Order: sequence, then structure tokens, then C-alpha cells
Amino acid sequence: MYGDLGLKLVQHAKRTQSLPQLPPYQSDIVRSVTREVRDLDRDVTEILEPFNGHFDPAEEPATACSLLVHHLCMRRNKRCLLAYHRVRVEAIEEMCWSGSDLLEQVQASQNKVAEGGAGIGSAEGSGASSLSPEEEEYARQYGDLLAAYKGQWTDIDLTGSLEPPRDLFIDVRVLKDAGEIQTEYGAITLTKNSQFFVRQGDVERLIAQGFLQKLN
Amino acid sequence: MDIDDLLQELDDNKVLGGTRDINDLTQSWIAERTAPEILPFQTALLERLMERIRQQIELVETQTGNLDPKTNFCLILLQTELERVKFLVRGYLRARIHKIDKYSIYILTTPSIRGRLSPPELSYLKSHLGLLNSHFLASFLRRFPEQLRRLDDKAGGISMVEEPDLDGAVFCKVVRDIEDNIARIPGTDSEFKLTKGDVYVVRYSAVREFVLRGEIELI
Amino acid sequence: MSYYDIDAILTDAQKVPCTFEITIPGLGYLEGNSNIDIKQGTRVELPLWLAEMLGVSQRLGTEQNVISLDLPPALAPRVQNALKANPCTVDLRSLASHYYSLGERILGLLEEDELVDILSETFKKRAAEIADHAHNPQGVISSGGEFLKGLDENERQLFKTAHESAKAIRAFLSDRSSGKK
Repeated sequence: MYGDLGLKLVQHAKRTQSLPQLPPYQSDIVRSVTREVRDLDRDVTEILEPFNGHFDPAEEPATACSLLVHHLCMRRNKRCLLAYHRVRVEAIEEMCWSGSDLLEQVQASQNKVAEGGAGIGSAEGSGASSLSPEEEEYARQYGDLLAAYKGQWTDIDLTGSLEPPRDLFIDVRVLKDAGEIQTEYGAITLTKNSQFFVRQGDVERLIAQGFLQKLN
Repeated sequence: MDIDDLLQELDDNKVLGGTRDINDLTQSWIAERTAPEILPFQTALLERLMERIRQQIELVETQTGNLDPKTNFCLILLQTELERVKFLVRGYLRARIHKIDKYSIYILTTPSIRGRLSPPELSYLKSHLGLLNSHFLASFLRRFPEQLRRLDDKAGGISMVEEPDLDGAVFCKVVRDIEDNIARIPGTDSEFKLTKGDVYVVRYSAVREFVLRGEIELI
Repeated sequence: MSYYDIDAILTDAQKVPCTFEITIPGLGYLEGNSNIDIKQGTRVELPLWLAEMLGVSQRLGTEQNVISLDLPPALAPRVQNALKANPCTVDLRSLASHYYSLGERILGLLEEDELVDILSETFKKRAAEIADHAHNPQGVISSGGEFLKGLDENERQLFKTAHESAKAIRAFLSDRSSGKK
């Protein structure tokens, strides 16, 4: 029945809300639901055709009801589609705020597929990304928008931690090689498994990105 | 007169401008986090604070490298304080962005509320809506019949425009003597008297006017 | 209720038994037959979002209602009696994932005064039980597994919130006692 596929999308969205990472975009269902809307709209046009623009619901209650059902189904599908996309958009925005590099993630997932035997070159554009092309575009544009807004508040670091600060300096352990960073006390080279006592503000980003682990 | 009164007097009169700003910022941050709707942007307060933060950062930068233990210790205090203020400003701005994202169309189309945003917030809101609109269009809406492409349709059972729930509960405290001190709960016959020092948990709509006038603080 | 709210949309998808009072052309797909009419007297289960609009559609200008609504099985007298007997032994989730929201919407459509009391009484009793489980620092009490599995979506949220706030309070208290930072 009409609306069933839309519901499937919303059930996907419900699951997505409790997952740490975005599952693959359901392009097939999105396409089918969109087609359903177009079919319904064509039906409406066909139903109305014999009336030549003089349709009076009071004279044709049964037809009016049929039209109402068509309209409700279209609206329902629209709502399901929007809610599904919105949940994903919010997850994408969340990633932009938390600083995890989306494109990096996309690449990582592509590489994983590539490891299955294909060469490095063929990983490019293999479609392993869980984002739709439109979503990748959105991620880029929202990233730019966020950077522009952040730029108004350079001294604050708007995407910094929302945990109230306790200690100026903290102990961290390096989980992944992160190269050299500049601090006001000079440069530090972050090699895996080493430990440092550093200013929290200098390494917050690296903690969020999973390079460093904060120790108690 | 006992010690509390003396302390109170101290609090009221002798608080330095800078400290008062920090107190105001803390209060604005709490209010923004608890109020269902977005509150007026604290333009002057934020300007003063950002100027101070800039000065302090400069001071830290010029003093770093000074090996005198006394200055060094001062620097650590200074930086700790800086981190705390930056955290408050960040929290304040992020709480606002959260509401701006959630109620974007409502804010944009309600002139009295739209005026509560700072110019950068308003331009962020507009660009964000624009991005969402083109993303939805590109993903599926462009294949929809024309009349179904709107994102601000209020007809058809449920409005697409999300509005803040002004009847949401808030904790609040009366901080000033109020002349016309009767608060009414909208939609009911209930009313209650507001006396300085009172603490209530009540629908936001009942105290909204007092909050906006600064007579009641959200806590 | 928010347009984009996933739980609101899922609530809307729950089914209600309906009977068509008039014959409608071309709506056969509602009972799984495409391209034929739906006859007067046909019984069919419709999702709330559709049933609600058709059930109150005098707005169409028709003399009689298009459909009449019945209580969904999840709210039928048999279930009501079970809830009256012991609300904590009923698996609400298997009846309807958004059980209370469904009840709320149905009560907006049908006069069922007793159901109002039964549902609020059920919610209160179960909420107390949920709080007991959520506040237990050892995690879920072993006997509670069955009960917790049968929570509806609202109750799950309640459990989650209660559990997390209890955890946060314990963290806060132990933080204060283990040296003032």
C-alpha cells in the first residue's frame, strides 16, 4: 500500500539515530518513494481530467474522498522522505562540529573495500561511501558555512569542548602518530604510545579526532 | 545588620565591572540553555568580553618565556581563567546555534524574534536554510510536483514549521522587586504573586515577560 | 508535535481497524487490490495518518462519514482487563511500539472514558517499576529483563533518562567526596 515504503525509510532513520556511524544511503527506496509521489500526482490529474476544472466535492463525495486519500499519501511520503534526510543531515552536521573529517572517513571506507584485492587506483569513486553524492556536497558546503561562522569568533574556538574545563594541563597518551605540534612551550612530536603533560587547549582537537587519549 | 547584609551590600555595590560581566555571561548562558525560545543576543556584553579576552591572550603571549616563577604562576592563573570564560562564551553561542537550527523558519518569519539574532547568526541561519533547501531539492524534491516542494507549508494537519514550546517548564528566581507583580498562567485562571527571592518551577509562558525584562532569572 | 520527529511519524503509522461507509472508486489498493473500487462495508486496517483524516472528514461536504473506526486490538477490552489486573505483566511493546501515543490518538477519535483511566493508571504503576530498575547501580535486576523488554518507546526513553541521571548523580557525589577539585 502507498506509504509503506516511506515508513521503511523512517524505520531506517530510527535505527540511524542510535548508530555511531551513518549507514549507507538508501537510494533505491528514496527513488521508489519519489516515484510513488509522481504516480499519485498523475492519478490525480487523470481523475480530475473529465471535470475540466469544474470539480465540486459536494456533488462527487466519493471522488473527493479518493482525491483526499491521494493527497494524504503524497504528503505522507514527503514527510517520510524529509524526516529521513533530515536525520542524516543532522548526523553530518554533527560530524562537521566535532571536527571528524568526513572526507577522510569516506576515503577510509573506500580503502577498506579496496583492500579486498583491487588496486589503490580503483578505490576512487567505487561508491563505497555511505553518503549520497548530494550528502557529500552538503557536508562540504556546511563545513564552509560553519568555518565562516566560526571565523567571527576566532578567540573562542567555537567547535571546542563543551565539557567545562578543570585543569589547564592534562596527561595524554598518543594512540596514533600525529606528527609534530606547536605549543607555547615549543614543539612536541607525538609518536604512538608516548605520554605527555600538555596544555589541554593545545590538544583538544587531537583528542576529538582520536589521536590522543586523555588520562586521569 | 548582620554579616549577610554586609556581604550582600558588598555584592551589590563593589563588584568590579569585569566580574559583573562574567556573572552576566554566566546568567545569559544558563538562561539560553533553559529557555525554550531564543533570547535577545547580548551584543554589548559580548563585545566587552571579547575585547578583554583578546587583551588577555595578548598578555599571555608577551609574557610567555618569562622564567620568573612569580609571573609564571600568574600566567597559569590567567590562562585557567581564560579557558573558563572561553568555555562560557562557547557554551552560550552553541546553545543559541542549537535553537537557531531547530526553529530556523519560525525565527526567520517572526520579525520580533528575528531581531534577537546577531548579524552573523542571522546570516548563518539564512545560509543554512538555503543549503538544506537545495540539498532536499537535489536529493528528491525536484522530482516532486511543483505544489509539493515547499518546506514551510502549514496546512494539511501538521505544520512543517517547528515552533518552540513556550509552555515548557523552567526553574526561575525573582531577582528584583516588581511593581505589577502578578503572574498569570495562560489558558488558566491561576495566578501567583512574585516576591523578590521566590523560586518557582513554572511554565515559561507565565514568566516570559518578566524574564525578558530581567526581573526574573532562569536558573 | 514536530513534523520531522521520527517517533511521531512512527506513531502515525500504527494501524486502526476501519469500515468504509461509502463506496469509493479506485481505492482498492487500500485492501491490496489495485485499480478496483473499495465497497461500502469493507473492513480494512488503515494507518493512523490516513484513518484520522478520513474518520473526521465531514469537511469533504459528505453527509455521512467516509469510514467508522474501531478500537485497535492493542487497546481492546481483553487488553484493558489485563492492564487493570496487573499493568506490569503486559508486554506493551509487542502490542504497539508507541503504545501510549497510539492510545492518546485513539482517545482523540473515540469516546472511551474508562480507557483514559486505565492508561494513566498503567503508566503510573509501570513508571514506578521502571524507576526501580533504572536506579539500581548493579544494572538491571535479573528478574526485570522480561518487563524491560516489553516497554513501549516512551517508557524506554524514561528508563534511559532515569538510568543516566542516576549514574550522573552517583558520579557527581563520588567526585565531591574524593577530594575537592
